[in-house]
Amino acid sequence: MPPVIVCPACDLAHRRTAAPSKGRTQCVRCHEPLQRPESAAIETAIAFACCALVFLLLSNVYPLVAMHVNGSSRATTLVGAALGFYAQGYKSLAALVFLTTVIAPLLQITALLYLLIPLRHGRRAPGHNGVFRVLSHVRPWSFMEVFMLGALVALVRLSNFAHVVPGIALWSCALLMLSLSAMTSVTSPEQVWRWVERSRA
Amino acid sequence: MGRAEPSVSRHATGRSLGLLVCQNCRATVRAVAAPYSHCSRCQSTLHERKPHSLVITTMLVLCAAVLYVPANVLPVMTTRTFFEDENDTIISGVLVLIDSGSWPIALLVFIASIVVPLLKILALGALLYSAWARSPRLRLQRSKLFRLVEFIGRWSMLDIYAISLLATLVQVQSFAMVLVGWGAWAFGAVVVLTMLATRTFDERLLWDTPRND
Repeated sequence: MPPVIVCPACDLAHRRTAAPSKGRTQCVRCHEPLQRPESAAIETAIAFACCALVFLLLSNVYPLVAMHVNGSSRATTLVGAALGFYAQGYKSLAALVFLTTVIAPLLQITALLYLLIPLRHGRRAPGHNGVFRVLSHVRPWSFMEVFMLGALVALVRLSNFAHVVPGIALWSCALLMLSLSAMTSVTSPEQVWRWVERSRA
Repeated sequence: MGRAEPSVSRHATGRSLGLLVCQNCRATVRAVAAPYSHCSRCQSTLHERKPHSLVITTMLVLCAAVLYVPANVLPVMTTRTFFEDENDTIISGVLVLIDSGSWPIALLVFIASIVVPLLKILALGALLYSAWARSPRLRLQRSKLFRLVEFIGRWSMLDIYAISLLATLVQVQSFAMVLVGWGAWAFGAVVVLTMLATRTFDERLLWDTPRND
């Protein structure tokens, strides 16, 4: 590799220095971070991803919220929320909700585990580069934290005329949101490639 | 906030040195057959700049701006009760929350559903205009504005999720039913189009200008 780092955000060339152990280096012109220090051990990242996977499964199995009104009650799951749009004929909105709350987090977690577990044992998974590319395309579409607040807004609006009971999935969604952001923060692209380069050595 | 590194020479860029940076794994690699070549580390296709960035982004933002009108005028949902049909637009949804006394939630929805989409469309429009014009002014500020738009973009999905839950739960025959309106569809489209626009926009175009700072 050339002894130069080019800023991905503004194209300015910088002299490559040793990766900082503390603090990060940033582009002198546009302040984009260029090198981040070692974020965590690969085992930590795998642990966060496993946590997230468990919470994702719980969130999809148990009901999210139940509503009691006039003697009748209804409950919904995470997938059920997308089906609400589908049932009323808004297929594209249903797909959007399903993709951003179920498929994207699932892909994000499984792709990361697929890459990291072999790396932990000093090997590269088959199709490593392709999966890495999928991961970086999926990451911006995983909207768990937005969904949590959206659910909160819906609960407040419902509680005006109905008795609302939060379900197990609501709590596991909150934990999923936390473990997803922990996972994302320790698996920056730079960090993943640092692990790759170490596994080669 | 971290040390800045010395640049190679004060104004050398990847373009002037024949270097490409991978937008996928952020590695710097030597350009072999510009404009197309592959990252030596992750094998992604490399482009000196994202292809047709300005044209594609402008189209996406224009579509979003057009759809922004029905997203705010048409009802996003209709609450059908025994007595009446009540239409809610994005704005009246915020007013309902204020009336019911949940101020923090009302403020949250106001920011996520009204401020953020408007800010995104206006900011992207201004950034595109300055990139087309190759304006050398306030480059750092514009770069920071772009990163803000990128960061807050996803939050406008909030109302879509709230509507999806309401439409699923409130289906009690003869008591109350929530019907989704076309406003929700338009609103969802605005969110997706503006998010795509922030992905197709190449931030480096803001810096490809005669030097001014």
